Amino acid sequence: MTAIEPLRGFPSVTVQFCAPDRRYEPLQPINIRYQIDLPAGSTVRAIERSILWYTEGKGEEDLGIHIFERITEPTALTAATAAGGFTALLPRSPLSYEGLIVKIRWCVRVRLFFAGGRDFVSEHVFDLGRVPAALSRPIASSP
Amino acid sequence: MRLPRFFAKKRGDRRTGAEVWGSIGDGLFHAMLLLAGIAFAALLITGVAVPEWRTHHHFLEARGTVVGKGLARRAVPGQMISTWQPCIRLRYSTAVGLQEAWALLDSPVSDRLMAVAALESTTLGSEVACWHDPADPRVVILERGYNWWMWAMTLLLPGSLLAFGGAGVARTIATWGKSEERQAAAGFLDSNRGEEPTTAARPGVPPCDDLVNSPGTILAFQLPVESGESWTLLGFGLFALLWNAVLIVLAVNAGLDLLGGQIDWLLMGILVPFLVVGIAGIVIFIRSLILATAVGTTQVEISAHPLLPGGQYEVLLGQGGSGSFTSLEMVVELEEQATFRQGTDTRTERVVVWRAPLGSWQGLQLAPGTRFEGRAVFHVPAIAMHSFASEHNAVTWRVVIRGRPTRWPAFTRAFPVLIYPLPPPSGERLLNGGMP
Repeated sequence: MTAIEPLRGFPSVTVQFCAPDRRYEPLQPINIRYQIDLPAGSTVRAIERSILWYTEGKGEEDLGIHIFERITEPTALTAATAAGGFTALLPRSPLSYEGLIVKIRWCVRVRLFFAGGRDFVSEHVFDLGRVPAALSRPIASSP
Repeated sequence: MRLPRFFAKKRGDRRTGAEVWGSIGDGLFHAMLLLAGIAFAALLITGVAVPEWRTHHHFLEARGTVVGKGLARRAVPGQMISTWQPCIRLRYSTAVGLQEAWALLDSPVSDRLMAVAALESTTLGSEVACWHDPADPRVVILERGYNWWMWAMTLLLPGSLLAFGGAGVARTIATWGKSEERQAAAGFLDSNRGEEPTTAARPGVPPCDDLVNSPGTILAFQLPVESGESWTLLGFGLFALLWNAVLIVLAVNAGLDLLGGQIDWLLMGILVPFLVVGIAGIVIFIRSLILATAVGTTQVEISAHPLLPGGQYEVLLGQGGSGSFTSLEMVVELEEQATFRQGTDTRTERVVVWRAPLGSWQGLQLAPGTRFEGRAVFHVPAIAMHSFASEHNAVTWRVVIRGRPTRWPAFTRAFPVLIYPLPPPSGERLLNGGMP
């Protein structure tokens, strides 16, 4: 379970993964539950829930969406803003990877759009696959 | 009142900010370029296009009698420079009666004597064809036509501004207020909501088509070579060709001057370093060509493709050419590639993070018409990372051959292979995902 200490004026998002160690295998279902505590007086106009991978490291960030859902309908939005959950079947690739200059991370994101135009993203990383991390030092630089 | 943030901010797992505001600057920048393009295009249309179009469609043809000749002098304000443009005075009939006006005969030149010489071909009292403006009969011209070269040059700037600015504005509008997840999901993911991914789909894994379309002579597939040697050779060749083409043009001009009894010392001074670079370019190209062809071709074949973690694959190295080799080595490497921007440059960094030897051969003597063949087995680690490629990042596997010929410099040739992610144990999806 991931809980974020609330900051003054910011929402608090708690996410619960079905696998306690947040490690999943390819083609395995993932079940996410979340809970949001909004600061007093804030008005949410949309919420986006997604499962995605992105790259980190020396290169520009690349991003691939696996599951994306945007909720703007008032009734559904009210329910989804308090708490919710979603289930998905994870894909075969790309697997989580901890390289030297390329890293691949999988995460669940819950993004809230407020009436004033600002947004807030809560990101919760998990692992897909069991690829070990690369060596801490490169063997060689290619020509 | 809280002012909007122009850039997102990350605090641990939280990111805050307003991406709508962050894209305003980008949108304004491209809108300014677009407006500048529109302004330039408007100036071109009113200053070049419309006047040329009117001469073709509105001006009336007439026969004009040359009644005078002269030079139009244009002085550059603040400088002691003048240009001279030959003109003739024409008498021609219009709808409102006989009219007399000056018409420009030729382009302006800075040499007055040249302008005077241009007038000598026109004699007073002769008749010439001319066109006058019916809206203002005093405006008369001697030639009509479209200046295509000027059109191409003048359209380049507004065209570039319109294309670059327009594309930027369109992109800003298309992504306005949208999160990066929504942009990535645009178009295809909403329809996939709730559907299970097919077991055949491998997101992030590059396609294998180009690696299995060449059958091997002994094993199943022959791998394509990835070496940058060919591109380097092509680059050297193009440089030598273009540089020496410029050199020939300069040399011809200098030769014509010499034949005419003149020596342009400035041109001669430029020619000498140009000649040195030109000869060096040819020498480097020929040396690279000899090095690339003298060693002989390297071929790598593999028993199956794509590869899977935990699998064993036979690899065949075929080295052609003639002569002796001190050593020939075959290794497999895992390389990470990251492309990033540094200022205005785009750079790609490559790092080898894993390497395993497949085979090594010493003291080879190759005979012409035959090839050396070496076999090895590649045991793919069971926990190996699969091949991965996205727009700016990649994780690639390749078989690398390093040769040390006795008479030639050492060479390295790489042959990419593709490793797929391992399928789940049963071949189907795992089903242990319920909430605890």
